[in-house]
Amino acid sequence: MNAGAQAIASSRSTTEVSLLLDIGSAWTKGIVVGRSVGRWRIAAQAAQPSSWDETDLIQTLAARLVGAADQRLTERLVTILGDAPRITCHTPARPGRIALAAVSADLSGRAARRAAESAGWVVAETATLDDERPAAERLAALQSADVDAWLLAGGFDDETGEAALEMAGLVAAARGASQTPVLWAGSPLLTDRVVNLFEPRMVRALPNPRPAVDRENPLPLRRYLEALLERLVEPGGRRQLAPVGFSRAVMQLARGGGRRISAIDLGARYATLVLADATGRSESRVLASGGLTSPTLTTPGTPARIAHSIDLPVDELAVADALQNLRARPGALPQTEEELAIVHGAARMLLEQLVGDESAFDSIDLLIGAGRTIAAAPTPAHAMSMLLDGARPLGVTQLAIDPAGALGPLGALEDQEIGEGVAMLRDDLLAPLGAAVVCRGGRSGQAAFRVTVHRAGWPSIGPIEVRGGQLQLIPLGRGQVAELDIELEPGISIGGARRARRSRASVLGGAVGLVLDARDVPLLLPRRTDDRRTILAAWRDALQHEPHLGTREAT
Amino acid sequence: MNGVAIHRIRLQRGSAVTVRVGAQIRPDEVIALRRQPLDPVRIPVARPLRRAPDDIDDVVQVRAGSRVVAGERLAGTGTQEVTAPVGGVVLAVSHLDGTILLAPLGAEEPVISHVRGKVRAIEEGAVAVEVPAARVRGVGGTGDAVHGELAIGVQNPEDELRAAAIDVGATGRILVGGSRASAEALTRARAMGVAGIVLGGVLDKELRDFESIQRRRREAGGMTGSFGLLLVEGFGKVGIDPQLFGWLRSHAGRMASLFGADGLLYVYDAGTAPIRRPLPRVGERIVAHRRPYQGRGGVVVALLDGMHAAASGIPTRMALVRFEDGRLAPVPLANIEATLAAPDH
Repeated sequence: MNAGAQAIASSRSTTEVSLLLDIGSAWTKGIVVGRSVGRWRIAAQAAQPSSWDETDLIQTLAARLVGAADQRLTERLVTILGDAPRITCHTPARPGRIALAAVSADLSGRAARRAAESAGWVVAETATLDDERPAAERLAALQSADVDAWLLAGGFDDETGEAALEMAGLVAAARGASQTPVLWAGSPLLTDRVVNLFEPRMVRALPNPRPAVDRENPLPLRRYLEALLERLVEPGGRRQLAPVGFSRAVMQLARGGGRRISAIDLGARYATLVLADATGRSESRVLASGGLTSPTLTTPGTPARIAHSIDLPVDELAVADALQNLRARPGALPQTEEELAIVHGAARMLLEQLVGDESAFDSIDLLIGAGRTIAAAPTPAHAMSMLLDGARPLGVTQLAIDPAGALGPLGALEDQEIGEGVAMLRDDLLAPLGAAVVCRGGRSGQAAFRVTVHRAGWPSIGPIEVRGGQLQLIPLGRGQVAELDIELEPGISIGGARRARRSRASVLGGAVGLVLDARDVPLLLPRRTDDRRTILAAWRDALQHEPHLGTREAT
Repeated sequence: MNGVAIHRIRLQRGSAVTVRVGAQIRPDEVIALRRQPLDPVRIPVARPLRRAPDDIDDVVQVRAGSRVVAGERLAGTGTQEVTAPVGGVVLAVSHLDGTILLAPLGAEEPVISHVRGKVRAIEEGAVAVEVPAARVRGVGGTGDAVHGELAIGVQNPEDELRAAAIDVGATGRILVGGSRASAEALTRARAMGVAGIVLGGVLDKELRDFESIQRRRREAGGMTGSFGLLLVEGFGKVGIDPQLFGWLRSHAGRMASLFGADGLLYVYDAGTAPIRRPLPRVGERIVAHRRPYQGRGGVVVALLDGMHAAASGIPTRMALVRFEDGRLAPVPLANIEATLAAPDH
């Protein structure tokens, strides 16, 4: 074991335990890692609202170790855990706040906003020339904005238009003598004139995120904003930030396992999406207001959308109140079935927003769900349902959850340690839910694809015909391997390289099984309330009830 | 927190602070002056100076962001000049039509402190005031900063504050309602000159309707005075915790400051407000925060060992609670808080 592994293993020789802590804005997750029969394993895990004292978490973890730990240590467990080496990550203390001024809401404004939000900033105020406000109102709004930085965008790369300069002037007027930095991410032909509006060395010119009407280039701006956020809001300790740690751990999992992984961490405040491949390349999107307390959930129309997406007869007004209560007290738990359905409906919508138009999301090998709402759902089927409905992973995908919340703290290890840390706990990190075959296209009720499932030592199942709008569950337990023969109907796609009508795939089972999902991407629901609830209930039942006679299906 | 709190009064950029560090301020005191920008005007530069619109850089003497006073020189060529017709802020210098875009500044408007206390610091964009008051932190709110005498508007904490119960006697006061107030009641309260309302809960829809009415009235220009709303328990019909309600009742008539958008209420010359603490112990009074018991008070009878599934199916640590209506129910520990009476109450 090298120095890296000692971050986990460097406890006193008598105890050999380490504590992983993920201190979230609403919940804190604690994990005891201990050595058992020569291997490092997750020995206990617990979570509690972050408003509770840490000693309560230690006591809970100690209580969970009783029976598993050496009896001679029982009396000393609280002390041992209190003294154990720790690897900690935490939600950023506060998000960075930025004001955005752009020429148009739909072009320069949208590209710049997405870059800022993906980098983990909260866009506290937006002003665009087409926002239908009088200039005086725009100026007053910018003057009142409490922000850490200003972002200016506008003008395509070959333009010298005055509109972008007008917005820059508005910011110069609103910002006054403040020393907050200004970022110019617009036409390079206007850079000199924009820079001249501010004090020397106050403006940083960056590549235009919308260089042409038909092209976006958000990455350079996003990268710079990520670095600026780290410098301005939480200098030092970048690895200890939960979204960063989570991304690093997922990248390591992808590299170590030679797989293409997508992972989603849905927290109370933050939502993080990571895409990583076997070469170690990764791309992440961090939304500081993308979690379950997101203000977008309580904007007009959203409660109605969520009410439409759940199978219980809960009206829009009750949904709105429940979502507001979730924002007000994110550490409290859904206590009733209705509240749980509302929270899960909100989670599905947030996943949908987070994934957005991420085409790279198709044809991934493994989709990981993290965050209490997904990873601590009442049943694995709830987690599977949220991931499938919200992310719609096209193709054949393994699904798993991070039940203990270990990925964030493991990602806080130093570069030279993270590989060994992840490798040591590989067997315990993820709880496999199973696999899914998700297709795009087709018509409701008409055949979409057929699957034959071959399992070693068992009779083959199928071919099973899956019709448009159907969800079927095939039993496939944890560790069980199955070979799938998939035959697509014309007009049906399972994404990426799988364009042929016939394909084969190998899948691993999990707590839920193998899901055959022909509900289209994005998910389509009937307009009539009764029809919608009936179909939603059928989908829920298909996933949550033990499959019988080989399959269970819902139309 | 009770006793002394530091409250930050945010100021719009460009406001001129009129108080000094160390000064004692009253809730009705002016602490700064601000001038709101008005609709901008275009001031021709190229034409009077006989220049092409794209050839004015060397004659313009201001830049976007500059503050100018009426009569100040904006551009000039020796004997000829263009001056500002009004004081304001320069927004842009256009090379398309050779004009300067200037946003005039309106009349000076006072920024009222709405808190009593001692000015501790003047920061960028804020004045920090040490407030000698008991502080009640809510879970939400809306509207302006206001101050006024505390008054009780309902008999019991679970009662609804009805429109008919709001009369001129409540003008200028901060009214403690109960479990809910309709948009109609809130609109009437504002129309009657009530400074603010403290509620246990409010329906999200009622609040949106009220805000929508206010927005329309503001756009129509018929709105006067400030109004703030503080929510102390949650959304929906939720009574105020009886202990907190009792404390508020016992301080009726005291001066208070309400900051709706910040979810804060300060009560001056008041004893310590009831304290809330997570993870209650057996025998302690609690208030529940989630349905079906949201806003209800009770006493913890036992803490259950291990994990138990709530009705939602989520396994969690639970407490057995005897609610005030006599019901005995297991409730997730994460969903309740101990409410501890103030030592001097």
